[in-house]
Amino acid sequence: MHRLRFLVCALALFLAAEADAQPNGQIQSSLVRITSTEVEPDYRAPWNSGSIGRGVGAGFVIDGQRILTNAHVVSNSRYLTVEREGDPNKYSATVLFVAHDCDLALIQVSAPNFWKGMKPLNFGGIPSLESVVSAYGYPIGGERMSVTTGIVSRVDFNLYTHSAIDQHLAIQISAQINPGNSGGPVLQNGKVVGVAFQGYSGDIAQGVAYMIPTPVIRRFLKDIEDGHYDRYVDLGMTYFKLQNPAQRHYLGLKEDDRGVLVGTVIEAGPCGKVLQTGDVLLAIDGHPIASDAFVEYEGERVQMPEVVERKFKGDKVRLDLLRNQQPMNVEITLGSVWPYFMQGHSYDVRPRYVVFGGLLFQPMSLDLLEAYRISDLRVRHFFDFFVSEQIYLQHPEVIILTNVLPDPINSYLMSYRSGIVDQINGRKIGTLQDLARAFEQPADRYVVNMVGDGPPLVLDAKQVEEARERIKRRYNVLSEQNLDEQPPARPAVAAQSNP
Amino acid sequence: MRAPVLVLIAILAGVGPIQAKKQPVPSPKLPAMSQGVVQAKEVSLVRVNVTGQPFDYFRPWQKKAPFTKRALGAVLPHGHVLVTADLVSNQNYVELERAESGEKTAANVVVIDYEANLALLEPTDRKFLDGLQPLELALDTVVGDRLAAWQLESTGTLVVTEGLVTTVGVTMYPAEVSEFLTYRLSIPMQYRDNSYTVPLVKGQKLAALLLRFDPRTQVLDAIPAPIIAHFLKDAESQKYQGFPSLGISFFPTRDPQLRNYAGETGKAGGVYITSVEPGLPAAKAGMKTGDIITAIGDHEIDENGNYVDSLYGKIEFSNLLGAKAYVGDSVPLQVQREGKPLTLNVKLEHRATEDYVVPPYNLDQPPSYYVLGGLIFQELSRQYLKEWGANWQKDAPQDFVYLDRFQSELFPEGHQRVVILSQVLPANSTIGYDDFSYLVVKKVNGKEVKSVGDLAEAVKTPVNGFHVIETLDDPKQLEIDATEAAADAEALQKNYGLPALQRLP
Repeated sequence: MHRLRFLVCALALFLAAEADAQPNGQIQSSLVRITSTEVEPDYRAPWNSGSIGRGVGAGFVIDGQRILTNAHVVSNSRYLTVEREGDPNKYSATVLFVAHDCDLALIQVSAPNFWKGMKPLNFGGIPSLESVVSAYGYPIGGERMSVTTGIVSRVDFNLYTHSAIDQHLAIQISAQINPGNSGGPVLQNGKVVGVAFQGYSGDIAQGVAYMIPTPVIRRFLKDIEDGHYDRYVDLGMTYFKLQNPAQRHYLGLKEDDRGVLVGTVIEAGPCGKVLQTGDVLLAIDGHPIASDAFVEYEGERVQMPEVVERKFKGDKVRLDLLRNQQPMNVEITLGSVWPYFMQGHSYDVRPRYVVFGGLLFQPMSLDLLEAYRISDLRVRHFFDFFVSEQIYLQHPEVIILTNVLPDPINSYLMSYRSGIVDQINGRKIGTLQDLARAFEQPADRYVVNMVGDGPPLVLDAKQVEEARERIKRRYNVLSEQNLDEQPPARPAVAAQSNP
Repeated sequence: MRAPVLVLIAILAGVGPIQAKKQPVPSPKLPAMSQGVVQAKEVSLVRVNVTGQPFDYFRPWQKKAPFTKRALGAVLPHGHVLVTADLVSNQNYVELERAESGEKTAANVVVIDYEANLALLEPTDRKFLDGLQPLELALDTVVGDRLAAWQLESTGTLVVTEGLVTTVGVTMYPAEVSEFLTYRLSIPMQYRDNSYTVPLVKGQKLAALLLRFDPRTQVLDAIPAPIIAHFLKDAESQKYQGFPSLGISFFPTRDPQLRNYAGETGKAGGVYITSVEPGLPAAKAGMKTGDIITAIGDHEIDENGNYVDSLYGKIEFSNLLGAKAYVGDSVPLQVQREGKPLTLNVKLEHRATEDYVVPPYNLDQPPSYYVLGGLIFQELSRQYLKEWGANWQKDAPQDFVYLDRFQSELFPEGHQRVVILSQVLPANSTIGYDDFSYLVVKKVNGKEVKSVGDLAEAVKTPVNGFHVIETLDDPKQLEIDATEAAADAEALQKNYGLPALQRLP
């Protein structure tokens, strides 16, 4: 799995011009400026609340007195305010729904005054190549709306860098967008055709900006209709083009340019017990799959995953396939593939950890590896191959000894850092929960075996107990553990009510 | 990998009196040396010119461009010249040159030890070294001694630079296989073009050979005389054996909690054994993970893994096996197992590079490969990974680096190679496969392949006219038409300049 890493600036645009000059109408009465005060978790001192920062983005009003913006504008937010053009007041807002996998969020403002004169924007379709679009927002933080225009340059699947693991349809536009444009609408003929969300930093590429197209927005709005955001669904497998004539012949395929080969099937995914390595997929929901993995769908030639992209948790997809040259078809009930999540960024969650005997244990994640800049080869391997080598079956969480808070009881334990916990007193450790439980078991000593040929790490239980308060005091460890379950679908801030 | 270095050919120079005796009629080309700078018999050095040509692991059917290195060799008894293995590995041609006369002769590599980085040369003309006084070894260098680095000016004049021995310890040698005794010197030496091998001398005796030098910090590491002596003694035997290894990993026992866990209640000391490689000497002697080695022979091992050496004081115990013991020796190890003392007699062996699953080095030996259609199969080796350059551990495919680093964990049974599909040359039979590379091959035509030889055997029996290749990672399987692959052979050889489609070990 390639994880493209590029620098991204968020953008948001808003149209400030007067009505007569504006091809898209009075955008001022739909655009808002969002200020978010956020708390960024500190993975190196996970018991602390983290660093407080402030960011500015854009958003716009849609039907139902809701404001649409980017997830990254409101991520980790503790307090949100919105402003509108020509109104001196700041209104506090709360997050209704946030979708980190497609970088979209809905927020609401409860003050009735705010909505006076505000007009919801309507959505259009996918704009055609070379057609002109306008982006509205508050680039580099200004207080007045800014407009930029450009053309539609490309429509393709792209990485959404907010999560760093999700790929969806994205539209590349040539309009300038900069930090502060994020969450702002991109309009054509008075209709929203996208939400500005990412671009490259100037030293990588210029005149390349991306917006989230309406199919992705519509999907998000539909997903939350039941009051809950479920994430995108995925088949959870890899597939390969079947362009080699001999391979096609070997697999018993006809000369009709159809079919893709199934590589790895993620056991924890929707295809887990259904597909097998070596199956040849011929059609998806009745749409023939070409040997280069494209399908004809709603009159366009799109990549196969696009068919799944439009679906929701619990929806079904039918696959026609060849297995050992025998035709068959299967029905897959779609869902998300949880082992992937660890490889992406997470938001609105507090880091999970356990401190024991001054040793800090944390589950592996992209955020953790970035915070510690861990380059240990084994840890990198567990991270990179977590899904593809199905490491998650043994280690649903990979628990790393990330740091040692020095104390007489752990004077000799520094060299164990970056070790991956395999067993404690003979029990397999698959999750942080397992680790916490193992340390709760009464014992004379705790013997921690790391993965691989290293020495065991031995902690004398009595000494650990004696050192507990001392370590907590010395390092200001407010709490010795945070075992909260996986991120809640709706962030805690949504619960804050707004008078 | 050392980058190819083209070295300017130094101008020959002669040395006065001795040369005059040997060659009564000096060649007019040779400028006369100023009198008394140095006596040639004191120098006991010859120039060594080597043309090397390493194999190209990205294109295993060919060698890289040749390049020439110039260095100095130390003249030893029995008509031998000592140089570093670095200098003469992958050599095509070695030439000795008398510093004072410029007279040259071809030489052969008699013995080479890549791990200890030492090699012995022998001139084809047995009389070539006549008149040069062989160097004896100075085995007693300790911290605080001054050693002299001997280099030659282009004129043949000896340049002597003195340095101070600051540390005697055990360090990893460039082959990255074993740690050996090393002298570390602080020395204001100029790193000359011909400095591949620089002898370090103490009172006209050879004390060490340059191992590596950092001109910025002026820190020089040297292969010490005790290692050279070990090499020379071994070289005298019928078959060169190499340095012994135990086949264990260990960890200090400074932590009282770890000592206590291992059942050690007595006084501190010893090292905790974290792994024992199957089939190697320690395993054969019955050593187990969790044992604590407290003594080797008469030498007690402390909790950091040091023993007290009569010459150096505290030094890592691996020196007892590196410099002081030989293959075939039986060494008694005192071991604590669950608190009970035990003596294990280990019969020492050398672990050859061929005995690894991913060999740590392959020098002077062509890489094996097999081309099937446009698919190129090779065996994974560190030599191959090093083609990615100095930062290969970061730049090479990470799953290969992982296989190399953790090979003893991943392949405890040993006795195999990892066969990889390294690249695909576009051909008719490989349409659609151009993007595949760096795949670990599991099976070919239903048979497990644990060497390129296995693969060559497996392709003899295609499955219904197809070669079926199964890989560890995605795409998991590739098939090519056996007839078409055979038909592609000629075009492949022609288009890509392959002299042969295979080279088996």
